[in-house]
Amino acid sequence: MNCQSARDTFPALLDRRTTATEHAEARAHLAGCPDCQREFAALSQTLAALDALPAPAPSPRLRKNFHALLEAEKNSAASVRPAAPRTHRASLWRWILSPALGAALLLAGFFAGTRYSAAPASGPAGDDATKRELAQIKSQMAKMTQLVGYQLLQQQQGPTNERLQEVLAAARSDQPSDGTLDDLIKALAFDPSANVRLRALEALYAHADREFVRSGVLASLPREQNPLVQLELIDFVAAAHDREATPVLEKISRNETIDQSVRDAARRALAQL
Amino acid sequence: MIATLDEIRVSSPPAAPDRRGAFPVDTAVEQRPDHALMLAVRAGELDALGELFERHHGPLFGFLVKLTGDRSAAEDITQTVFQRMLKYRHTYRDDGSFATWMYHLARRCAADHFRRSSAAPRATDPSDLHERADDAPHAAQNASARDDQALLHVALARLERDDREVLLLSRFQELSFAEISGILECSVGAAKVRAHRALRELRDIYFQLQNMKQRVAGGE
Repeated sequence: MNCQSARDTFPALLDRRTTATEHAEARAHLAGCPDCQREFAALSQTLAALDALPAPAPSPRLRKNFHALLEAEKNSAASVRPAAPRTHRASLWRWILSPALGAALLLAGFFAGTRYSAAPASGPAGDDATKRELAQIKSQMAKMTQLVGYQLLQQQQGPTNERLQEVLAAARSDQPSDGTLDDLIKALAFDPSANVRLRALEALYAHADREFVRSGVLASLPREQNPLVQLELIDFVAAAHDREATPVLEKISRNETIDQSVRDAARRALAQL
Repeated sequence: MIATLDEIRVSSPPAAPDRRGAFPVDTAVEQRPDHALMLAVRAGELDALGELFERHHGPLFGFLVKLTGDRSAAEDITQTVFQRMLKYRHTYRDDGSFATWMYHLARRCAADHFRRSSAAPRATDPSDLHERADDAPHAAQNASARDDQALLHVALARLERDDREVLLLSRFQELSFAEISGILECSVGAAKVRAHRALRELRDIYFQLQNMKQRVAGGE
C-alpha cells in the first residue's frame, strides 16, 4: 500500500466505530512510515482538541420554557379535540336541514297562497291569522336566505379540501412568487377553515425573513379567534423576532376573554422579543 | 524514530455523562426506548415528550453551540426543535428513528436561524486572541488551553456549514453512520466520505491558524 492510499483511511482509523481488524494494510503501512505517522498524528491532535472542547450546559430557562410550551400544547389539544366533532355534527345538520327547510318553505308558500286566493275578504280574525302566517313565512324566508347565502359563499370559495390542496401546493413551491405568498397570507386571514389557516401559516414559516410576510401574519393575529391558530401565530411572530408584534402581544396577554394558554404564550413571546 | 500505532492513537471522545443520574430512576421499571416514547407523543401522550427532552436536550444543545458558535442561538434553536416535535408529532413515522428525526429537525431549524439572522459564526483573527491573553503568570497554562480552544472554534467556524454538521454529528452525538446518513439524506458511504473530508479540512485550518499564531507571537 502506498502513502496516499494509507492516508485516505486515517480518518476511518481514528473513528471509534472502526473495528481493530479493519484496514489491516493501512495499519501495517502506518507502523513503518514516519511521514504517514506525522500525518496521522496531526489528524489525531485535531480530534483530541475537538474532544477537549468544553460541553456547555444550557441555562435553566430552556427547561422552564419547554415545560411551559408543553403545558400550553396540552391545554390547547384538550380544548380543540372536543370541538372537532361538534363542527362535524353542525356541518351534517346543515346538509340535512337545508333541503327540509326548502321543502317547508315551499309548502308554507303554497298553503298561504291558497288561503289568500280562497278568502280575499275575510274579517279581522282572519287578518290576524294571515299576519301570523306571513310573519312565520318571513322568518322562514330569512333563515333560508341566510342558509343559501352561506352555501353560496362556500361554493364561491370552493370546498375546504380544494382550498387546502391549493395551500399545500403553494407550500411545496421552493421559491414561491410574491403572488403565491400573498395568497397564503389571504388564506391565513380569511379562510373559514382553521386547518387551511394553519397550513397557510406553516407554509409561511420558511419566508419569515420577508417583511410583508411578517406584517401579513401579524395583521391576522388580532382577528384570529381559534386558540390553536392564535398559539401558532404567536409562535411565528416570536420565532421571527418580530418586534412590531409587541403591542398586539401585550394586548392579548391582558385580554381576559382570550384563552389562558394563548395569554401565557403571548407573555412568553414578549419575554423572547 | 518510528512510533507504534498505540503511541499515536487518539483517545476516544469523553463518554457522555449519564444524564439519568440527576433524576430518581426506578430500576424495577424498564425505561421506554426513545422510539416508543415518541410514538406515545404522537398518539396524544404529550407528557412522554418531557422524558425525551430530559434525555436529549443536553447533547442537542451541545451540538448546536458548536454548530452556531452562539449559546443564546443554540438555546433558541433547541427550544424550537422540541416545539416542532410537538407541532409535527403526527408526521413521526412508525419505522422512524427518534435521534435521526431530532437531528433532522435541528438541522432545518439551524438553517432557518442562519438564513434569518445571517449569523454564521464569524472567524476571529488569531492576533486578537493573543492580545486578549491573560497576563497573570499563573494563568499561562489556562490561557494557552483557552487559546487552543478559541483557535479550534475559529477553525470550526471556517468550515463549510455542511462539513461542520457532519463532523460534529459523527464525533459527538453517538450516532451510527446509518443514522447520520438518514439525517443528511445521503448514502452511508457518502456520509463517511463527507465526515472524513471534513476532519481533514478542519486539521488544515487548525494547523494554519496555529502557525499564524506562532508567527504573531514570534514577531514580538
